[in-house]
Amino acid sequence: MSRIRVRRFNTDGVDAFRRELAECRTITTRDIPLELLTDPQLTELVSPAIDIEQRNFVTKRDAAIYFHELFADIPKQQLLEDIGLWSWLSLYYFDVVCPKQGGARKVRNDYTYVFEAKSIRHFYRHLLFVSWRTLDIAPTHNRLLLGTSISSLDKFSSEVIKRLYLTRIPCFFEVLDRLYWDEKRGRARPGVTNFGKITAGNLAHRLPIRIRQLEKTYDLHSLTADQLISLLGEEFQFDAEKAKQLKLKFG
Amino acid sequence: MIKRINSLGRKRIPTSQVSIAVHDGDPRRFSASIDLSETDWPLDAIVVIEAMCAGSPNVKRIECGTISRLIAPQDSPLDGITGRNVFFSLKVIDRTEKIGRLLGFADNLRPIQTGKQTEVGRRGLLPVEAVSLGQEIWRIDFREQDVFLLVNQDVPRLSERMRSDPRIYSIVYPEVIRRVLSKAIDENIDLDEDDDRWQALWLRFGRTFHQTRDNPPNAEDEEEKEAWIEQVVNGFCKTHGLMDRFAIALQGADGSDE
Repeated sequence: MSRIRVRRFNTDGVDAFRRELAECRTITTRDIPLELLTDPQLTELVSPAIDIEQRNFVTKRDAAIYFHELFADIPKQQLLEDIGLWSWLSLYYFDVVCPKQGGARKVRNDYTYVFEAKSIRHFYRHLLFVSWRTLDIAPTHNRLLLGTSISSLDKFSSEVIKRLYLTRIPCFFEVLDRLYWDEKRGRARPGVTNFGKITAGNLAHRLPIRIRQLEKTYDLHSLTADQLISLLGEEFQFDAEKAKQLKLKFG
Repeated sequence: MIKRINSLGRKRIPTSQVSIAVHDGDPRRFSASIDLSETDWPLDAIVVIEAMCAGSPNVKRIECGTISRLIAPQDSPLDGITGRNVFFSLKVIDRTEKIGRLLGFADNLRPIQTGKQTEVGRRGLLPVEAVSLGQEIWRIDFREQDVFLLVNQDVPRLSERMRSDPRIYSIVYPEVIRRVLSKAIDENIDLDEDDDRWQALWLRFGRTFHQTRDNPPNAEDEEEKEAWIEQVVNGFCKTHGLMDRFAIALQGADGSDE
């Protein structure tokens, strides 16, 4: 099943996929039945016709770029709501989003694979959807989110994408990147997504609260990244030299 | 009890001062009528309208001039705003300093007139929506702009019975009120009287059932919070005679009171 036409699950198809996920949780070595992908009782063809092929996505970025090319002709609003399509894609790429390790799989919650478009708690937890969506709303400054493994939901994606009030701020992703990307190490700063411990400048606890405070006072929409970082305050100034420059610029 | 206050100096703009109509099309277009004359704003303050859609990070921002030269949008395109549930914010901004400061703000403004492509107004305090819930009967769904009561679509007529059958609503609604008020208090909003975000609507609704009509306490005061909510739930049950209605309905269903 290397290259086939893209289909979407109907309601029965989504239910069947959920049942298979449950089976795979019980028997972890089981192969998920790929016949569901083309069962005419459970699926329908996507229009316009699109061919899809197996890819070995490593990061969310790999998947995001491929899906953006693949679905360029499908209206965005349709993609945002298409439960059947994203769920079908999870089955098609099941070995990528839920790889076997040592001959067994650890199947996560259903919403990791079955797209729950209407649930504000679950929609961003679908691994393939969140990859596509992140590149859609953050074409640049996205390495903290898209540079991560496709087979699990990283903390940056889960803490950011669910909060629309953050992603609606135009400079937000640049701010995020500048605050939390460690240029010297070439990866995220350690400890900034630690949910169990509240630390200064922490993404999980402090940044959303601080932005909520600032949006009551400032027009965050018109700010540059420099301005927003300067408003965030000292606890977010991880780089002493840059902090000094910002202080001189904005007071 | 610590009372909620708005200490920021920012004024809430009453929703009655803005009215918005959204017209069908591709893209849709909207017109607004804005009357900010009741407040003494600085004449050079900037006025901005932002259009958003529930569930989407896209924001369409339209500059409307200054307080002294206000130009309300007329037939302005809503490109990039694609969902049915469109809402707007109005901002009055002081731009005399490097960083724009908010002087006035109205959010969650719903269009009062729409075509077929857009939801009109608000759908009540607790819209009921029938969806697939597996073996669950009901669930509260906190969305960005509203709280929904989800009911299982596979139970016949459950949406209607949720409102009309005392055997169901007398059990479900007190718990719904408890949970929604708890969440609303946790959001720590300033309880302005003309605020129509769901949190404010629910907290004002709760206050009407409180024995002494107290405002809700702050989220940090867990004991006060619980006590306030319990008084509200108690008042709600009493006002609507839920136990009596439940008992009578149960008797009717059994055909006897054995």
